[in-house]
Amino acid sequence: MFLHLFVISRSGGLIYNKNLSSSAPRLTVNEWLVLGSTFHGLHSIAAQVAPLASSGIEKLECDNLKLQCFQSRTGVKFVLTAEPGTPDLDNVLHGIYELYADYVLKNPFYEMDMPIRCDLFQQGVERLIERNSRELKKARSDA
Amino acid sequence: MSSSSSRSAATRAGDQAWTKMSKMNAELFNLTYGAMVMQLIRDYEDVQAVNQQLETMGYSIGQKLVDEFLAKSGVGNCANFREVAETLAKVGFKMFLGVVVEVTAWNAEGTAFSLQVYDNPLADFVELPPQYSGLVYSNILCGVIRGALEMIKYQVECRFVKDGLKGDEVNEIRVELRQMVDESFGEEYNEGA
Amino acid sequence: MTESKRNAGSGGGGIRMLNILDRPLATKGRGVGGSEVSLSAFSFLFSEMVQYYQNRVLSIADLERKLEEAGYGVGHRVLELLAFREKQYRREIKLIGVLQFVSSTVWKALFNKVADSLERSTENEDEYMIHEREPITNVFVSAPADISQLNCAAYIAGIISGVLNGASYPAGVTAHHVAIGDGQREKTVFLIKFRQDVLRREAALSG
Repeated sequence: MFLHLFVISRSGGLIYNKNLSSSAPRLTVNEWLVLGSTFHGLHSIAAQVAPLASSGIEKLECDNLKLQCFQSRTGVKFVLTAEPGTPDLDNVLHGIYELYADYVLKNPFYEMDMPIRCDLFQQGVERLIERNSRELKKARSDA
Repeated sequence: MSSSSSRSAATRAGDQAWTKMSKMNAELFNLTYGAMVMQLIRDYEDVQAVNQQLETMGYSIGQKLVDEFLAKSGVGNCANFREVAETLAKVGFKMFLGVVVEVTAWNAEGTAFSLQVYDNPLADFVELPPQYSGLVYSNILCGVIRGALEMIKYQVECRFVKDGLKGDEVNEIRVELRQMVDESFGEEYNEGA
Repeated sequence: MTESKRNAGSGGGGIRMLNILDRPLATKGRGVGGSEVSLSAFSFLFSEMVQYYQNRVLSIADLERKLEEAGYGVGHRVLELLAFREKQYRREIKLIGVLQFVSSTVWKALFNKVADSLERSTENEDEYMIHEREPITNVFVSAPADISQLNCAAYIAGIISGVLNGASYPAGVTAHHVAIGDGQREKTVFLIKFRQDVLRREAALSG
């Protein structure tokens, strides 16, 4: 099951966050901002301390959480969290990147690096998550 | 450097990317661009200022459009500036404008090249009246290229050196690499590791 | 309106030179004489255009006027091109004829489809409506809540007005959102209001 989605701009600001499930912990606006900037910081530290050339944190897995980060070459980070064992976050993250390219960047009312308030992006994310959650459920009941 | 086989791979990638894009009528695109240029001419009254404004608008487009390119073209990281040039010409132009562009005239250092644009969808129907001879009608393309490449860390300068609207047989855009933009967000462009 | 003559006499390939009016007729294959570009290229350009105007106006109504004006000149050109090319436009002498020309021939030429519907207003006899579920100007646009009534298809409204005016059927055309329930996207209605003399002429002709 998917829990949270957040997006961090290339300059490190949180520009989008969304609860993807009713069982995902609810965070306040402040907590979200702290989470966003903390992750941004950890991500760049991870890239710097890695012994080999690294693009930063891609995956975190814990007992009760799986986190995956996709950073575009333009420096925007899309971060998705889910229950452990949820497969295929890659595809979902890529789908979200496409939605961002379509419904955020082609919207004349969006300003680069500012918080994303685009209805069509929001709807696109909801549909994408719904579709993938359904497929997950189906795969689980088939198994 | 890019062998003939990698060139055709770029062409194939361009065709594939183009196939997947939603399309629209090129004339409406063309006429819309014309309407915008005319608006700028009315507002600025100075051809040089219009050229500059077109470049600025293109730059803004390029900064955004590059994400769609990266998200949908299926092209991986380019190892060097030559690959960037091929990808820009064969995949970028094809994917967005449906046209094929040739890369020519590399300088000895491999830091500057020309794009030959035979078929320019912005400039169909257009005839420049004499009083606008200083207008670089399609200058928005230079801005788009500069904006897009800057987002992937290549800082370039672009200008039209040949212009079909001024009697040249082909449109030619010169692209010169100024420097690599170094930002702290991680990814390495040089072959580290 | 016959489309059978399309491409008749076209020489086809190979021409590289940028000639003016004849080139797209002769060399470009699909659609009504036109080749294609990506919808994305148009959307980025249009987005930039909207931003440009937005920085120069004080109200949403002004922004819509600006977009209409930009479209108006385009509409004139579209009519010229359609008339010039393949004789797709013969001078219409009936109001309904010119409206059908807009909602089918012009629509197909520009959007590669016919309009979703054409209706006459039940309230005002000088008003007609063209419905379009998703005008190409709006595909990627989410207007902020405080200006949600803005419809960027004002640009297309301007095009329609330009075509009608060029065809001697002057009319004001505006674009409006209409809710269609089911949580679906709003569709757009183009409201066409003909000038009074157009209706008088129409009445005289049919009377």
